[in-house]
This record gives sequence, structure tokens and C-alpha cells, in this order.
Amino acid sequence: MSERKVIDARGSFCPGPLMELIAALKLMNVGDEVEILSTDQGTANDVPEWAAKVGHETLESGERDDHWFVVVRKAK
Amino acid sequence: MATPPLYIMLSSNDRDKMQLASMIASVAAVSERSVHVFVSMGAIKAFDKTASGNARYGDSTLNAELCDKNAPDPVELFAQGKMLGDMSMWVCSMVLDVLDWDTSHLVEDLFDGQMGLTKFLSEAETGQLVSL
Repeated sequence: MSERKVIDARGSFCPGPLMELIAALKLMNVGDEVEILSTDQGTANDVPEWAAKVGHETLESGERDDHWFVVVRKAK
Repeated sequence: MATPPLYIMLSSNDRDKMQLASMIASVAAVSERSVHVFVSMGAIKAFDKTASGNARYGDSTLNAELCDKNAPDPVELFAQGKMLGDMSMWVCSMVLDVLDWDTSHLVEDLFDGQMGLTKFLSEAETGQLVSL
């Protein structure tokens, strides 16, 4: 059974949200998902770019109310 | 083809430069790129283990704003990059000599040791070198 974890990195500046996401993924299992919330607009582009480079899967990303969100599945 | 390693040479503790260097180093290191940081000249002051907070850094154009907005601390970002990615950090042996310091003066668990400029430059020939 896969797990989904939400990380609230709102208020954190680049590259804080990415580093929080990576730290969380390291502790999770393949197939688990992390949703990162961020007020740093760059996160919406940076996290999918990072995920593609290192081999994880971006499931969803976008803007919601006053922040951006990205959902990443750990693929390896 | 593997991404070539990134070599970063730091020579100033200017907050703007330290901020950018730590961002580049940490993001590259967690993006499956090998990163090697060489700390020389005034940059060593940012890694003095007796310093803390913003006193580590020299003034710079965005220093006040970076502090007010609680931007990530550069030394902590280097530590995160090292913990989560493939990063090594080296202190310039010449600057240690000039200051009569050894590596025990520096922030703990961050540096892999001291290195001479000649060896760092030789190793940097295998990748890309950024100087800040």
C-alpha cells in the first residue's frame, strides 16, 4: 500500500522546498508519493525538472489558492 | 553520458555570493551531479565554527533582504547538499597557513579536508569550474 505525504514548505525560499522534498523521499518507499506545497513560484517548474532528471515521476502540479503544489511519486 | 562534475571555487564571504554558491552546490549535488567545493581567501570566514547566524557573512547588495525574508542559511545549505547528495568540500591549505588555522577551526562535519590549489585545479579539468 503506497503512502502519500504532504510537506508544507510555504514560506520557504528556493531551494528549501526541493531539499525538503528530497529529504522526505529518501525515507519513503518506491511507489510512495509526496505532495509539496510552496509559495516559491520556481518550485512549480524546478521540482518537475528535478524529478525528470533523477528518474522520479511528477503526477500533478499547479496553483491552488495562494500557493503552488507538485505531487511526485518515488520511482526508484 | 554522465553529467560532468561541478567544481566551485569560493573566495569571498559576501552573503550574495555565498547564497548563490550554496544554492548551486546543493541543487547540483541532489541532481545526481558530483560537486566539489574549494573554500579559499575570505570565504573561509563564513565557515569559522565560532561564528553564527548572519555574522558569518560579509555585507552585500541583498544581505538585508535575505536576512529579513529568512532565506536559507548558506552554510546550512552546503550541509544539506552534502547530506542529501554527492558533494565534497575542501579548504584551501594556503589560507589555513595564513590564518594559523587548522580544520578544527571550521564548522564540524562539513569539510572533507584541506587541499592545495594545484590539485583542485587539476581535478577541475575533468568538469566545469565556477568561481564566486
